[in-house]
Amino acid sequence: MATEFVSPEGLRLDGRRPPEMRHLHAVVGVVPSADGSALFHMGNTQVMAVVYGPHEVHNKAHQLHDKALVRCEYSMAAFSTGERRRRGKTDRRATELSLVIGQTLEAAIMTHLLPRSQIDIYVQVLQADGGTRAACINAASMALADAGIPMRDLVVSCAAGYLNSTPLLDLNYQEDSGGGPDLVVGYFPKLEKLSLLQMDSKVSIETFEKVLELATEGAKAVATFTREKLLENTRTLASARGHLKI
Amino acid sequence: MGAISAAEVSYIEGGIAQNLRSDGRGRLDFRNIAITTGVIPQANGSSRCKVGGTDVMVSVKAELGNPPKGRPSHGGMQIKVECSPTANPEFEGRGGEELSLELTRGLERSFLGGPNGSGAAIDLSTLRIVDGKTCWVLCIDGLVLSSDGNLLDALSIAVKAALRNTGLPKVEVVAGGAEDEDPEIEVDDEESSQLDVSNAPVIITLTKVGKSYFVDATAEEESHMRSAVSVAVNRKGVVCGVTKRGGEGLEPSTIIDMISVAQQIALTYIPALDLQIAAAESVDPDS
Repeated sequence: MATEFVSPEGLRLDGRRPPEMRHLHAVVGVVPSADGSALFHMGNTQVMAVVYGPHEVHNKAHQLHDKALVRCEYSMAAFSTGERRRRGKTDRRATELSLVIGQTLEAAIMTHLLPRSQIDIYVQVLQADGGTRAACINAASMALADAGIPMRDLVVSCAAGYLNSTPLLDLNYQEDSGGGPDLVVGYFPKLEKLSLLQMDSKVSIETFEKVLELATEGAKAVATFTREKLLENTRTLASARGHLKI
Repeated sequence: MGAISAAEVSYIEGGIAQNLRSDGRGRLDFRNIAITTGVIPQANGSSRCKVGGTDVMVSVKAELGNPPKGRPSHGGMQIKVECSPTANPEFEGRGGEELSLELTRGLERSFLGGPNGSGAAIDLSTLRIVDGKTCWVLCIDGLVLSSDGNLLDALSIAVKAALRNTGLPKVEVVAGGAEDEDPEIEVDDEESSQLDVSNAPVIITLTKVGKSYFVDATAEEESHMRSAVSVAVNRKGVVCGVTKRGGEGLEPSTIIDMISVAQQIALTYIPALDLQIAAAESVDPDS
């Protein structure tokens, strides 16, 4: 507990202010052979999401007669963390994250429009520096949009924590390991509803509300960024086809 | 890739025979190769290589380990390749294991050298720290992000670039350790030395379709290859490893001819790649 996560001048370990998010970077359409794909960076956390679908269900036993089947697999590259890990794909954290990300995104997809089909979402973490869950959801959202899959709203995600009595937005790995709470939200910006909420550690209700508000504000900022990137991508595609006026 | 009709197969084979492939390339033409290095700041060295639609990423992490038995003044190298499901939904779960293993073995054969350490991509004695006790072990991890054919070649380029990008931290041996104990090593975070990869090979795969062979197959072309020979060659034209893939039998004279074609190509192709890697190194990566 001796580590000072917020200096007396109000600066965090990487020089950010408490409500400041890390640098965001996104590219749409990075895997040409997939139906949709996106790369999403939040600071040093780098995640790639790829969507294949909608297509026929491979295992007819799992087919749903009235909606699409959404499956998600989360994997981390061996070089993604500071210590090179040899984790199998079936370790518990990967299974949980696959489920969480899949369910969060399924809530946004209009599955009733695509019955008896399957949508596969693959999320690959290239570099992990805290906030991987959030980056994965953001990347997958953009990949789904790139694939043209009908969605009620974008899903964006952001995490926040509480250290040295200060709510902090978008924790990096060091801050995440600081022992304070870590709260992740999945947010529908237009509908203004939460799709995902996870928190670990213990906090008082007042602190919880503050951290939740900060995470939601962060998610709104991510939504603005994501929408801008998707529009930019559409503009590029439209002008490439000769439709210059939008 | 979906199923291809017989008409399409004959179109592709005819094109190859006439030295005009589906994308306009000749048999000995490569696709556009893009190399960036330093893409993973947490690793000691890293690179990303795109050959057409194929996209691979390689990282090198230097860990402290024990020298191999019988070679106390050498270091170690380990290679492992993983196929991400982002490249192909078939790689989900354990689906990509077979291909990952094939690619891993192909790279090991070309880069690790023989059991006595000779023929390795880099001089393994540059990895020694304390003879017989401690040395550097380079853990090379490859990840296939997008697949459009010619994975082995792309991975070999990425491995060479990542090794060139690798900075080995300077170490200081703390004196005063007992004879049979592991010595204490102080790793310097600031200074590092580069590896010499001038003799590192690059793999050139020649795919045989009909009577002709060609380099840099796309996924479509690979899907009906009957046999292929992957040759690891270094810039001097010295062969560092050969793998024959595919079920169709090849006459020995054909294989020797394919190897010599690969050696010929290597003489101009590898220096050009080295220049590209050097150019990638001199570009400051964006934060």
